[in-house]
Amino acid sequence: MQDIHLTGFGLLSPELVLGAVSLLVLIMDLVWKERGSSRLGWISIAGLALSSFLLILAFDDSVGDTAFGIVVVDKFGNFFKLFTCGALAVVVAFVMGDQRERKDRIGEYYFLLLGAAMGIFFMVGTNNLLLLVLGLELLSLASYALAGFHKGEKRSAEAAMKYIVFGGFSAGVMVYGISLLYGLTGTLDLQVMAGTAEGAGLTRSLADAVTTSPSTVALAMVMILGGFAFKISVAPFHFWAPDVYEGSPTPVTTFLAVASKAAGFGALLRFLAVLFMSPDVAAAVGAYGLQVGSLIAILAAVTMTLGNLAAVRQESVKRMLAYSSIAHAGYVLVALVAMNGDGLEAAMLYLVAYYLMNLGAFGVLIYFHGQTGKETYDSLNGLGRAAPLISVSAVVFLISLTGLPPTVGFFGKLAVARAALAAQEGAYAWLVLLMLLNSVISLYYYMRVAKHLFLKDCEGQTVRPQPAMATLLVIFAALNVIFLLYAEPLVNWTSASMDLLLIGP
Amino acid sequence: MSVPTEHLLALAAILFAIGVAGFFTRRNLIVVLMSIELMLNAANLTFVAGSRLHSSTGAVQVDGPIFVIFIIAVAAVEAAVGLALVIALYRQKQTVSLDAFARLED
Repeated sequence: MQDIHLTGFGLLSPELVLGAVSLLVLIMDLVWKERGSSRLGWISIAGLALSSFLLILAFDDSVGDTAFGIVVVDKFGNFFKLFTCGALAVVVAFVMGDQRERKDRIGEYYFLLLGAAMGIFFMVGTNNLLLLVLGLELLSLASYALAGFHKGEKRSAEAAMKYIVFGGFSAGVMVYGISLLYGLTGTLDLQVMAGTAEGAGLTRSLADAVTTSPSTVALAMVMILGGFAFKISVAPFHFWAPDVYEGSPTPVTTFLAVASKAAGFGALLRFLAVLFMSPDVAAAVGAYGLQVGSLIAILAAVTMTLGNLAAVRQESVKRMLAYSSIAHAGYVLVALVAMNGDGLEAAMLYLVAYYLMNLGAFGVLIYFHGQTGKETYDSLNGLGRAAPLISVSAVVFLISLTGLPPTVGFFGKLAVARAALAAQEGAYAWLVLLMLLNSVISLYYYMRVAKHLFLKDCEGQTVRPQPAMATLLVIFAALNVIFLLYAEPLVNWTSASMDLLLIGP
Repeated sequence: MSVPTEHLLALAAILFAIGVAGFFTRRNLIVVLMSIELMLNAANLTFVAGSRLHSSTGAVQVDGPIFVIFIIAVAAVEAAVGLALVIALYRQKQTVSLDAFARLED
């Protein structure tokens, strides 16, 4: 009988803090009733801050595993956990600042957000497919409930329905793929599969399985990658995104577009890095003349083109941002065609840029929606004069989303393009060219927002001042610009996060 | 006399195919959710079969059966959330047909 000991349980403290705070919020909601809506928000933000403080404290020496080696604490995971905390804190602030958001059952709202964050924490911090699936399901289930939070409203309930139907399907496909992979290798641990760690009992490395039964491995991989593709809304698994993003409450849309998508990328990056960048598996796959990179290149090309072309036709700004977030998933994939450390690093840099610009853009949407009650382009007419500070911030976010200097979005696209060009002696130059073409398309619909803000007039457009929300948005706009001047710490941070992920050359 | 592992895998594959076919052809929301359950259970069967494939007398591969237990729980939670939504939608539209919600343009 093996001794059961949970050494290193302290490594889980960020997760434990989140769990405790989520329960606290739920209980205090019952105690305070409607008096507590802003207090609960501050408790949530404090919990997220404490959790990120613990993560930062342990960032340099946080390497280890706990709970029988299932939970892995490393810099790569901590990068995405910090990302999640940052995104969640802003989402909570948006909920507090959203004038359209009803304030009843607010404790449940924060509880679900924090629960989803915990799911993300487990999902990005494991090499074990079981915990990955459980974390993903925790995130998904909380997201379904959040998407349909205003269940009395038609749009919200429909969004939740579409999300759960497609989400359930993709989870089923992914789990079946994992079961096939388990049948082939006899293990759920990615490192054992890759042959970089010793497994217990009768196991077989993936490289072996690729050699003996390539078609089954291919089928399993397509199914698993399909599950990831759903989470990050990559074509052909993207069609749920516009309807769900449009129907959900806007703070939830922000959460889905930023935190949930980044979490999907976090898990996908780890999956690709540990499995396909290990020398054994890469050699075995290469023997068939196949390259995972070229498959990703096709997905990236289709995703960004589809997303951008559809975004052009939208009349609702929220729906336009939904399609634009599909396009941005394609841009991140461009970095991954390299299938090496530089590619992963560029993808992570792009996600940081995406965080800064997309949170800002959604924040502006929430701000103006709270003022006008509409989400169409025409509802923005004349707001440039009525709310100049917010409108200028909006333009900064949109320039950043397009990828023009001097913003962090330009920096992100530059990193992605460099990684893709360096791969395979420039074999993916066509993809970078396509990305630039897509950026030009996106310039049209992003600048349409600016046109409505500043060039179209609307008599009597007034804005009630919302100082807290406005300050937050202006800070984000400033970050979008000044990050470029101080890009070095960011680059150092991401490359430090990559350190221990890559085993082997 | 025991069932060969290949038969288990084939049964699981058939169940999965029925689930996928049901998902794409049926218009009733509850039946669609049932199809998803069928897909998850096909995966469960494959896990158990896989565990048998990699076990020998005295050394049982337990990862697969553990996964199955968790998936059963996940499927139950998904059904709970899904059916709660079905009720919310029925209150609005007096129907649980997917056709009433078709607006997936582009």
